[in-house]
Amino acid sequence: MLFEFPRPAACRPAGARQILAALAAALALAAPGAELRIGNGGEPLTLDPHRYNLNLEEKLLADLFEGLTALDADGRVVPGAAESWNVAEDGLVWTFRLRRNGRWSDGAPVTAADFVYSFRRLLDPRTAASLAHFLYAIDGAAAVNGGKAPPANLGVRAVDARTLEIRLAKPFPFLAERLVYPTGYPVPKHVVEKLGDAWTKPGSMVSNGAFTLADWQPQGFVRLAKNPRFHAAQTVRLQAVRYYPTADRNAAYSRYRNGELDIIGDFPPGELDWLRRELPDHVRLSPLLSIMYLVFNVARPPFDDPRVRRALALALDRQLITSRVLESGEVPSPSFVPPLVAGYQSAVRPEGPDRDIARSLLAEAGYDAENSLRVTLRYIAGADSKKVQVAIAALWKSIGVETILHHAEMNAHFAELRQGNFEVAQAGWFGENNPEQYLELLMSTTGEVNYGRFADAQVDALMARAKETAQLDARLALLQQAEVQALALNPVVPLYSVTIRSLVRPDIDGWRANPRNIHPARYLGLSGD
Amino acid sequence: MTRYLLRRLAFALITLWVVVTVAFFLARAVPGGPFDGQRRLPPAVEANLRAAYHLDEPLLGQYVRYLGMLSRGDLGPSFRQKDFSVNELIAQGLPISLAVGGSALALALSLGVVGGTFAALARNRPRDRLLVVVATLGLAFPPIIVGPVLVLVFAVLLGWLPAGGYDSAKHYVLPVAALSLPYAAAFTRLARGSVAEVLARPHVRTARAKGLAPWRLVVRHVLPSALVPVISFAGPAAAALLAGSMVIEEVFSLPGLGRYFVQGALNRDYTLVTGAVVVYAALVLACNLLADLCHMRLEPRLRRG
Repeated sequence: MLFEFPRPAACRPAGARQILAALAAALALAAPGAELRIGNGGEPLTLDPHRYNLNLEEKLLADLFEGLTALDADGRVVPGAAESWNVAEDGLVWTFRLRRNGRWSDGAPVTAADFVYSFRRLLDPRTAASLAHFLYAIDGAAAVNGGKAPPANLGVRAVDARTLEIRLAKPFPFLAERLVYPTGYPVPKHVVEKLGDAWTKPGSMVSNGAFTLADWQPQGFVRLAKNPRFHAAQTVRLQAVRYYPTADRNAAYSRYRNGELDIIGDFPPGELDWLRRELPDHVRLSPLLSIMYLVFNVARPPFDDPRVRRALALALDRQLITSRVLESGEVPSPSFVPPLVAGYQSAVRPEGPDRDIARSLLAEAGYDAENSLRVTLRYIAGADSKKVQVAIAALWKSIGVETILHHAEMNAHFAELRQGNFEVAQAGWFGENNPEQYLELLMSTTGEVNYGRFADAQVDALMARAKETAQLDARLALLQQAEVQALALNPVVPLYSVTIRSLVRPDIDGWRANPRNIHPARYLGLSGD
Repeated sequence: MTRYLLRRLAFALITLWVVVTVAFFLARAVPGGPFDGQRRLPPAVEANLRAAYHLDEPLLGQYVRYLGMLSRGDLGPSFRQKDFSVNELIAQGLPISLAVGGSALALALSLGVVGGTFAALARNRPRDRLLVVVATLGLAFPPIIVGPVLVLVFAVLLGWLPAGGYDSAKHYVLPVAALSLPYAAAFTRLARGSVAEVLARPHVRTARAKGLAPWRLVVRHVLPSALVPVISFAGPAAAALLAGSMVIEEVFSLPGLGRYFVQGALNRDYTLVTGAVVVYAALVLACNLLADLCHMRLEPRLRRG
């Protein structure tokens, strides 16, 4: 028995019935309501929306659950479990109206009380949610999460079964955006209280999204089945989705090429040219809401000298880096808030490249051919990242700067950055559709993730005023000013937004490239369905 | 015999306890913790996480708690795979590793013994030379090279076999082949050497002179003693194969035990990595014991021990 295969059924000689069943299964792939097989980049560590931590878990959870707001196929914020909402004049009280036909997968109605329970559970210290701070904007959240106040003190209230009121500590116009993350998802109180931690097991989990959890073989696959009780179930075309933990992108690519996977979210970069030539209708490149940038350690000479920082910034050519070095449709970004952030127009004027000004700035700072500037540039190990850093070193050489490249594995790299052990370093931020999230990295109060320890009183004051402002236009105007003020001092050099390279079987529709890289299975189907 | 077995089992238990203790403290001595990431967590959040997994208690208390759980057969909750206990993860991964490793071991042993015997019987003839060359090549190409090549040829180019997964017996063909190849080569070389040596012994010459049929000669008089070194090597090899090969499991997307080792260590998932070590140690001890018992059957001189 020891050596028995776990799936012995397939080894048995096939009888007529099995052959018919196999034929039916083969036909089902072409018929409406097929099962898609998606490579998800890794194993989910949890399917409890309040304890999740990884982007790949977000994808599964977005199929299983629905928050008050949700993202559509284009990555836009749309009503989710709430059909509408309104915000009080002062920006502090948000009132959500839940759908009349919102149901859990066991048939129980989704109520405002479920949401109250869920927000309290997220912030309850006993839940140990690693992303609890996503919703610190709610009044009392930080105190509850820090164990200084009981969960009942949280500013969330069920006015009636279908009306939920969320009270904020400070105005936060981006709340609808923030609620699309699993931290804002409801969990079924009646199931969680009965089963405890076991509620996320297949067969036990009750969810309110377009799909339910049918099976989960750790490191094998997660299978989701269509939820017939979902409020928009009639628009969901797939009967099931299987997510595979494809941690090795070479293995995932082989499986895609062999027809064993229908969608993969990443492939070896070296294959891009071949794929563009041979399988052009499979390749999907989409820029992601993100900013890759260089950060100067302003606490360390000579990078405390704004002229040196400006000279190094002016020597760089973003267009060259994106269109000649990376060549995968990356979007160059002269501003720190990437241009992909909708609803925000950066006021930062693109500058350079200008080697003459760069050289004269360096000369002013005391560097010339005799006494050339030497910088150590730290970056994250990886083929793409290395190409970019080599290009940067070459561009700096053209203004007489000598660059020493130093690479490290991702976690080690960021550990060094947080401790300020660097001169110039590659950094990146994967954010949301909210300019504040990027600009906060340049506030003196931010701490470790303001890697360069940049501090400017005017920037801090503008940011603080923005955070008190309820009116969105006025708030964005203050953020624009803060960004212009900060970038004039060049604490960072914004470079580009990264591209996600996916392979999608051409007969799949509903998969739209979007800057969130979110592709909810409820919008996917096979063309001709 | 029974006393011998009992003594070996007692030793095995003590060894297991030492391994568990070393693994427990070593895992926690490595810099970094299970909740570290690119972004530092707010202090309140981190404190909540540490409390939930008893990491805020003194180390010795954690160790006693762990030994207590272990004595009840409970390997604890996984720190990172939050929805599963280590028992559940191992129960899911081990059968797959056993299936792949067991098949690879059986394949490698049969190929090795048959090939090695043939080579020894045809010593220094072209057949023997060819087998030696093939065996050397097999040793020179580790699974990390052979695996992707097999995938490229048999899955991507020819489309005969799946490139990964574990849904049917077909899915196991390529990983078993890739995994068994270096072991088959090692067994071939070992068997060839020891069969040749036994063939030169007087009792074999006598048997041959009596006109015994060659296959009976090999099975009755040569193999029992020639297999002793093969079995010695098979013990640890079996443990290594059965506990799951990280490389093979990555290349063929198999959810076996091997990847829990590496992932558990990389993610500082203390309970998972210690649990994997416990299972691995138990497998090594069991396989070695089994190999020793096989020895005693083959080598009567050892039985008195």
